[in-house]
Amino acid sequence: MSRLSLNKGLAQPRIAASRVGIGGPVGSGKTALVECLIPALTARGIDIAVITNDLVTAEDAERIRRSGLIDPARVSAVEAGACPHTVIREDPTLNIEAADELERRFPGVELILLESGGDNLASTFSRDLTDFWMFVIDVAGGDDIPRKRGPGVIRADLLVINKIDLAPYVGVDLERMHREASKVRGDRPVLLTNCRRGEGIESIVDLLEREVLFRT
Amino acid sequence: MLFDRLQTLALLQLGDSAYPAGGFAFSWGLEGLAADGMLASRGELDRIILDQLERRWASMDRILLRQAFRAEDCLGIARVDRLAEAATPSAEMREGSRRAGRALLGVWFKLDGPLSVAYRGLVSSDTRLGHLAIVQAVVGRDAGLSLEAAELVSGWTLVTGLVSAAVRLGIVGHIEAQRSQEAARMLLAELLEETPPPDALPASFTPFIDIAVSRGPLRHVRMFTT
Repeated sequence: MSRLSLNKGLAQPRIAASRVGIGGPVGSGKTALVECLIPALTARGIDIAVITNDLVTAEDAERIRRSGLIDPARVSAVEAGACPHTVIREDPTLNIEAADELERRFPGVELILLESGGDNLASTFSRDLTDFWMFVIDVAGGDDIPRKRGPGVIRADLLVINKIDLAPYVGVDLERMHREASKVRGDRPVLLTNCRRGEGIESIVDLLEREVLFRT
Repeated sequence: MLFDRLQTLALLQLGDSAYPAGGFAFSWGLEGLAADGMLASRGELDRIILDQLERRWASMDRILLRQAFRAEDCLGIARVDRLAEAATPSAEMREGSRRAGRALLGVWFKLDGPLSVAYRGLVSSDTRLGHLAIVQAVVGRDAGLSLEAAELVSGWTLVTGLVSAAVRLGIVGHIEAQRSQEAARMLLAELLEETPPPDALPASFTPFIDIAVSRGPLRHVRMFTT
């Protein structure tokens, strides 16, 4: 998706916001990552909005709205109709409309985070929906996840391994897990985070600034 | 032959439950009725589909679609769209109809349908516009469908959406779902046999469905937009 788009029906061209997907299994820490990214992106002067795709409740959207980190009006919830894959891949129209609506309401928005509903290792984002997407797994889910080569792990623009602080408690060799993840991804980026303490977040923001916003 | 081959193929494409217009996220009251214990079997599903088709779609959505299909220009279409807004008392039903309509319009905007592109300009500037039945007329015109074909797609996508939602809610399995669709197919064909008078006004009477949709935001556990 080109960042410079001519919005049909309007006389003036405008810069479209970059759309960044965040997918991954249930409980891997996607919402926690969003909560870390909001202040980190805002601190760098990046104008943001958020869309959540909750599976059966508006829990994630409400959590972010009540966090005090962002104007609640900048958080939209899209119901997934029990189809978390469909709403981000085969038929992303509701998410696209939600993102378009956020851009209309907040014309200066530069980056929209789209958090998918918690899913398994097979979810991927449509390129019609996102410019960049990351897949979040966690060490407690098992160090064999990268070796299973799910489409999310392999095809994401960025793989995030979260909850690294738990590695010693769940018998995970973090170094090996990181190495195997890099290997199956052909050395495309793999970053390690501990969202509870904000560790690794700046590296993700650096990458988003460089690869998505082309700021550096 | 009512539809030629090309039009029939277009019908199959646009009426496909996998058509990317967000239809999978709408249960049009089924989720609420199931949560309230009013929908638990195929028989009950069939009765609700009958209600939806006969007492809502045929007397309201179809009428609005026909008016929008015949409107001379975008302003004329917008007048029908505002009628849809005014004739839908439930705020959640209005919101759902607009979200579904805007999603479909967004697809055809990107496909460069000329009327869709022009009408989206209006919809973008007025939050009351974009109701599903009206957008179905706009898209049908862009797709080169006849009015009869556009009506058929509209009625059929309602049926497939309802049955698909029922499967995901665990009310029926895939075989029972086919039986429900077959029954609904007969009913839809019967409804389409009768042509509404040109001055027909949109009206619906589906109180249980309207209440179920309206109660949606009160439910903590919720998979569907409506």
